[in-house]
Amino acid sequence: MSELSIEAVHLSRRFGSFLAVDDVSFSAARGEIFGYLGANGAGKSTTIRMLCGLLAPTAGEARVAGFDVKTAPESVKASIGYMSQKFSLYLDLPVRDNLDFFGGAYGLSGPDFAARADEVLRLCDLEHERDAITGSLPGGIRQRLALGCAILHRPAVLFLDEPTAGVDPVSRRHFWRLIRRLAREGTTIFVTTHYLDEAEYCGRIGLMVDGRLVALDTPAALKRRYVPGRVLSVRGRNLASAAASLRSRPGIIAVEPFGAGLHLQVAAENWNADSVAQALASAGAQAVEVESGEPTLEDVFLAVVARPREVRHD
Amino acid sequence: MITSPRWSVQLRAVVRKEIRQTVRDRRIMFMLIVAPLLQTVVFGFAVDFQFDHVPTLVVDHDASAQSREHIRRLLADGTLRDAGHTTELGAVQRKLQTGDAAAALVLPEGLARAFAAQRAAEVQVILDGGDPNRAVVVAGAASRYFGEAAESMVKERLAAHGIAPPPLIRATPRIWFNPSLKTPPYMIPGVMTILLVITTTLVTAMGLAREREMGTLEQVLVTPIRPLFLLVGKMTPFLVIGCFDVLLVLTAGVWIFGVPLHGSLALVATGTVLYVLCTLGIGLLISTVSRTQQQAFLAGFLFAMPAILLSGVMTPIRAMPFWLQVVTTFNPVRYYIEVLRAVLLKGAGLVDIWWRLLALLGFGLALLTVASLRFHKRVA
Repeated sequence: MSELSIEAVHLSRRFGSFLAVDDVSFSAARGEIFGYLGANGAGKSTTIRMLCGLLAPTAGEARVAGFDVKTAPESVKASIGYMSQKFSLYLDLPVRDNLDFFGGAYGLSGPDFAARADEVLRLCDLEHERDAITGSLPGGIRQRLALGCAILHRPAVLFLDEPTAGVDPVSRRHFWRLIRRLAREGTTIFVTTHYLDEAEYCGRIGLMVDGRLVALDTPAALKRRYVPGRVLSVRGRNLASAAASLRSRPGIIAVEPFGAGLHLQVAAENWNADSVAQALASAGAQAVEVESGEPTLEDVFLAVVARPREVRHD
Repeated sequence: MITSPRWSVQLRAVVRKEIRQTVRDRRIMFMLIVAPLLQTVVFGFAVDFQFDHVPTLVVDHDASAQSREHIRRLLADGTLRDAGHTTELGAVQRKLQTGDAAAALVLPEGLARAFAAQRAAEVQVILDGGDPNRAVVVAGAASRYFGEAAESMVKERLAAHGIAPPPLIRATPRIWFNPSLKTPPYMIPGVMTILLVITTTLVTAMGLAREREMGTLEQVLVTPIRPLFLLVGKMTPFLVIGCFDVLLVLTAGVWIFGVPLHGSLALVATGTVLYVLCTLGIGLLISTVSRTQQQAFLAGFLFAMPAILLSGVMTPIRAMPFWLQVVTTFNPVRYYIEVLRAVLLKGAGLVDIWWRLLALLGFGLALLTVASLRFHKRVA
């Protein structure tokens, strides 16, 4: 088996006339955390469902943990863990019965399994919730249980489809600690998320726009490529009209609203914080404050989504 | 530790989980255990096709010793009950409208004189046709009585003239299998039939719809469990519960309502298992066409009502128009009620009912195959 845990080659999926996933190719190495970003409906979940053997690809091929998803979906299923955006647990059963059921579903039984279940409860910090009815637990704990159920059989690849949607920041942090630990121990993680701060944890990130994988690289490389120059964050009043006049000036690469203010992307040789402040003030903005900042993945995301689809970066 | 998936571990896991969920759900437990007993008792006591003590108004215009004697003897057998006397037609109409009386017996003035003069006489029976069964019973009782009365008057007269009465043809009904014509022996098998539709079809349909609604179905489908084992595992507990319910209702029927056990219980059990395969299959089929529990419940109901009405549980199939009779041959419910009644009430053996069992088996296998193929298609 190669060191590649996931290999997708020209993967496509069509629903009627709608091309949900369009000719996507990428690979992920063992132990890598691979992030998959995109707007709603960009084809993230469809890709995951194909890689998990839940959905047959219309065209292309994919191998997961060394098995072909088309010809050996059962072997794929035995080697992966999957956690969907809804925490799909039996809410009417206690925590231990959920573990018991999913363990059995993966063919685990006997004392080995009992020991493994205890280990997972410890790992996910669920020892005190063992007998609690799952539906009575808060979202963050349910999410850890869903993760626990997905890793009982020590999968080689773990698919997480927006695992932290609707979970509080503390639980999210806790959750990501667990994920990074699993990755260090050799589990390949394939994760989709809406939280761009979380995407910073990923080794590499693929960006989906309208079913196509339009960018793929490490977070740092993506920032260099899609957000060149200097990023300035601007606060103040009457920014919108002032910014419009700035847009046409040379050296201004992009102007994006960002929170209550603006993110300006400028060529470093033409502009700095002071000259931008001055230009905005003379265009009618008041109380302008400009700070130079690091580009975030949000800048990357906005830059890529705004850009007409051209770049294919494999 | 990627243990090779073993189907028996997986199957047991599904069965165990299904039992745990069922036991925890009070509503389902109620539906599976208490409802059958309630239904048995309610149907056993409330559904009675026998009518006696039908309230009958007496309108005696003749008011003679003879007319009073006829009324007394007609009411004596207990089918009709005296609901008051009147000579006013308006009162008759009112009482029939309010339901205080279901029939009125009108003896015309001059009845005794007509008999004495050897003239023909007519007695009128007014019936409330709102309940056809009851009306038929009253009409039958009245015409039977006056027929016998006329016969004995003829004999008396002939004897007075020294003539021996002519030989008469008399029909002597001898009722087999249920000699006292009690309703429960007829209805309790019906209760068993209806009950299984509810416990197995509805519960299965809603169970799978719930998994789909909650997203757990998708979570299970990414495990290496084969869909077939998932379905088998989900149905097994309900097959057992269905058989248990049948035993429960049958026991209650025998003890409380005196349902006879003429035939082999093994045949009843075989029929039940085959029938439950059908009802489970329908439940699965419904679950493949419904997205939510609500839809599944409605669809289950839409199936159950006509299936029960077209089974012969309530009304005889022979009384249906021909095209509906043809429809009933595609109704598994019909074959099960026929098996139950034949075996329990008449002691029928395998030779008498084998083709009905075969029909149930055929329907069951076909339904389960179609349902699991559809299930496969929808998830794959």
